[in-house]
Amino acid sequence: MQRALRTGLGYHGFDVHAVGSGEEAVRESAAWRPDVVLLDLGLPGMDGFQTLAALRPHTRAAVIVVSVMPGERDKVRALDAGADDYVVKPFGTEELVARIRAVLRRQADVTSGEPVIRSGDLEIDLAHRAVRVGGKPVRLTPTEYELLRYLALHAGKPVTHSTLLRQVWGAYAVGDKYNTRYVVAQIRKKLGDDSSNPRYIVNEPGVGYRLEA
Amino acid sequence: MSARKLTAMMRRSVPYAIAIAGSVAITAAIAVVQARTSVSGLETVYLLLVLWLGVRWGRWPAVVASVCAFLLYDFFFVPPVGTFTVRGPSELLELVVLLAVALVTGQLAASLRRSHAESEAIASEARALYQLATAALRSPEVTSALSLLCGRATAIRGVSLFSLVAMDFGHAVPLAGGELTADQLKQAAWAHENGRSVGVSISDGTIQLMKTRPDPGGPAYLPLASGVAVMRIDVAHPAPEDLRMLAALTGLAGLLLDRRRAALESERARGFEASDRLKAAVLSSLSHELKSPIASLRAGLTALLSPRAGLEPEQKALLQDLDRQANRLDHMVGDMLALSRLEAGVALDKEPHRFADLVGSALRQLRSDLKGREVTVDADEDLPPVDVDEVQVGRVLVNLLENALEWAPAGGRIALGAAARDGHLEAWVENDGPFIPASDLDRIFDTFWTRRARGSGLGLAICKRVVEAHGGTIRAENMRRGPRFTFTLPLAQVAATR
Repeated sequence: MQRALRTGLGYHGFDVHAVGSGEEAVRESAAWRPDVVLLDLGLPGMDGFQTLAALRPHTRAAVIVVSVMPGERDKVRALDAGADDYVVKPFGTEELVARIRAVLRRQADVTSGEPVIRSGDLEIDLAHRAVRVGGKPVRLTPTEYELLRYLALHAGKPVTHSTLLRQVWGAYAVGDKYNTRYVVAQIRKKLGDDSSNPRYIVNEPGVGYRLEA
Repeated sequence: MSARKLTAMMRRSVPYAIAIAGSVAITAAIAVVQARTSVSGLETVYLLLVLWLGVRWGRWPAVVASVCAFLLYDFFFVPPVGTFTVRGPSELLELVVLLAVALVTGQLAASLRRSHAESEAIASEARALYQLATAALRSPEVTSALSLLCGRATAIRGVSLFSLVAMDFGHAVPLAGGELTADQLKQAAWAHENGRSVGVSISDGTIQLMKTRPDPGGPAYLPLASGVAVMRIDVAHPAPEDLRMLAALTGLAGLLLDRRRAALESERARGFEASDRLKAAVLSSLSHELKSPIASLRAGLTALLSPRAGLEPEQKALLQDLDRQANRLDHMVGDMLALSRLEAGVALDKEPHRFADLVGSALRQLRSDLKGREVTVDADEDLPPVDVDEVQVGRVLVNLLENALEWAPAGGRIALGAAARDGHLEAWVENDGPFIPASDLDRIFDTFWTRRARGSGLGLAICKRVVEAHGGTIRAENMRRGPRFTFTLPLAQVAATR
C-alpha cells in the first residue's frame, strides 16, 4: 500500500516521505515539515487518534485520515480531533490526489485572508456579513448566517454536527442534530437550493455538512 | 408430674394465694383498727384489694378475694359475730357489690391486658420484620437474606416448612429454606405459571388457609411476582398474629426475589451488550483483513494509470479493467459485511432526518454513474421527518438506485418519490426498464438471489433487512412504466424547532 501510494503520488508530482509508525510520523513531521499528512488510523503501536493528537502541536500540515473502518463514528472522531478530511480505503489514486489538492487549496485560501468566499454562484462576503446568489442578496437570520459562515470558512472540508452545534449555538447549546438539519434546510430554501440535489451545502452522511469549494 | 408442670401450677396459684392472704390481712387490719376506734365503712378497703387483683390477674382471683372478704367480714365483724349468717338485704347487697366489682374490674383488666398483649405482639412483629428487612436489604447477597427469612418463618409455631423458589426465565430454582422434591418444584412452577395459589392465599396482610386443597398433607404454594413461596402449616387453627407474621415475611420475600431478578436481568443485558460489542469487533477486524489487500490493489493499479507511468493505451485499458474488478470485489465484500452486520443485529443509530437530505446524499454518491440518466425526485419539501439510521437508509437508496441503473435502458428515466401515508413515510424508486416476472417478485429480496449473471444477490437483501430493522416493509411491483420498489420508514416524533 505504502509503495503504491508513493509511486502514484510521485507520478503526480508530490514529494513523498513514508514512515512506518505514529511515533516516527510525529518525529519526522517536526523536521521535515510536510504540507499534507496522510494518516492511516490502523497503525501499529501508537494508534491513529493518538498520532493525530500528537501531530497537531508540531505541524500546520493538513491531515487526511485514511481508514478502512467504515464506521461514521471514526470519521467524526477524526474530524473533531483536528483532521482536515478523510478517505475511506480502498480508493483510486485520482480520488486521493483530488482530496490532497483540495486541502492544499484550502490552506492557501485561509492564509490569503480572502474576505469573499465563493461556491459556484454563491458568494459569502465575510467583511459585510452579506450573502449573494448570482449577485442577488439573500437575507439570512443570524443563526443561518453563522452556520453558513462557519461552513464557508472551512469550505470543502466536512464539518461535523457537533462542531456546528458548538460553533453556532455556543458551548452550552442544548441542541440536537435535528437543529442543524432544520437550519440547513432553511438556508437551502433561501439560496434556492434543492435538498435532494444540493449545489452548495452537501450532506456528509453520518458526519455533518460540507460547503462545496 | 414433672417439675416443670409443678412450677407452672404453682405460678398459676400465686394470685389465688395472694387473694386469700390479702383478704385475711385486711380483715386483721380492720380488727386492729376497730379495736381502738369506731370507724365505720372500713370494709371498702376490701374493694381496693379486689380492684387490684382484677387489674393484675383478671377476674377469677378477684372473685376469690371478694368471696373471701365477704365471708371474713361477715364472720368477724357483722353481728352476730362468729357466724356466717346473712341477715337482711343490705348485707346481701354488700356481697353482690363486692362480687360485681370483682367481675367488672376483672373483665376490664383482662381486656386491657389482652389489647396490651396484642399491641406488644404487633410491636415485636414489627421489630422482627424491621430487623429482618434491614439485614436483608443491607446484605449484597440476596440468597443469604432469603435464608435468614426462611429461618424466621419456620420459627413460627406450626410452620414446619418455608422455602423460596425463584422463577428464572421459566425455570424453577430453589433458593432458600427447606429441601423440596422435584415434584414440589414442578408444582411450584405450575402455581407460578398459572398465577394460582394452592392451599393458602394472602390477602389483607394475612395468610388464609384454604378449606379445599388437592393434597391435604402436602405443602401450600403461594405464587409471587418473581418466584413462589412454599410452606407447610401443621396446626389447624394458627394464631392470627402468626399468620400476619407469615404474610409479612412472604411479602418481604417477594420484594427480595424481585430485587434478585432485577439484578439477574441487568446482568443478562450486560452480557448481550458485550456479545454485541464482540460481534461488531469481529466484523470490523474482518472488514480490515478483507479490505486492506483490495486497497493496496486499487492504489497500485490506479498509480500506474498516471501518464507519467508511461504505459501503452492497451496496457492502461487492462489496468482500468482490473481496477473495476477490484472495485467490484470491494463492493461485494462491503455488501457481505453490511449483511452480516445487519444479521448480527448491530444497533441502529436512529435520528430524525428529512427524506430529501437522504436522497441528496445517495444521488451525490452515485453522481458519476447517474450521468446521462434522467433522475426525477417527487418528494414534497414539507414531508415530515423520518426516524432512521442515515447511513443504513442511505445504503437502501443507493442499492435501489444501482439496481435501477442496471435495468433502466440507456438514457432511461429513474423516478424517486415519497409521500406520508398512514403514519409512516412511503418511498419508491422506479425505472422504465423491463418488467420483473411475477414469479420473481417475492424472491427478489432473498439473499444471494439475483437476476443478473454478475450480481451478488446481496443488494436487495440488504435493503429488505435495513427496512425491516426500521420496522418497515419493502415490496417490488410492476407499474405502468416499469418496475417499482416501494418501502416504508417510520416518521420521527419531533416538532421542528426554530
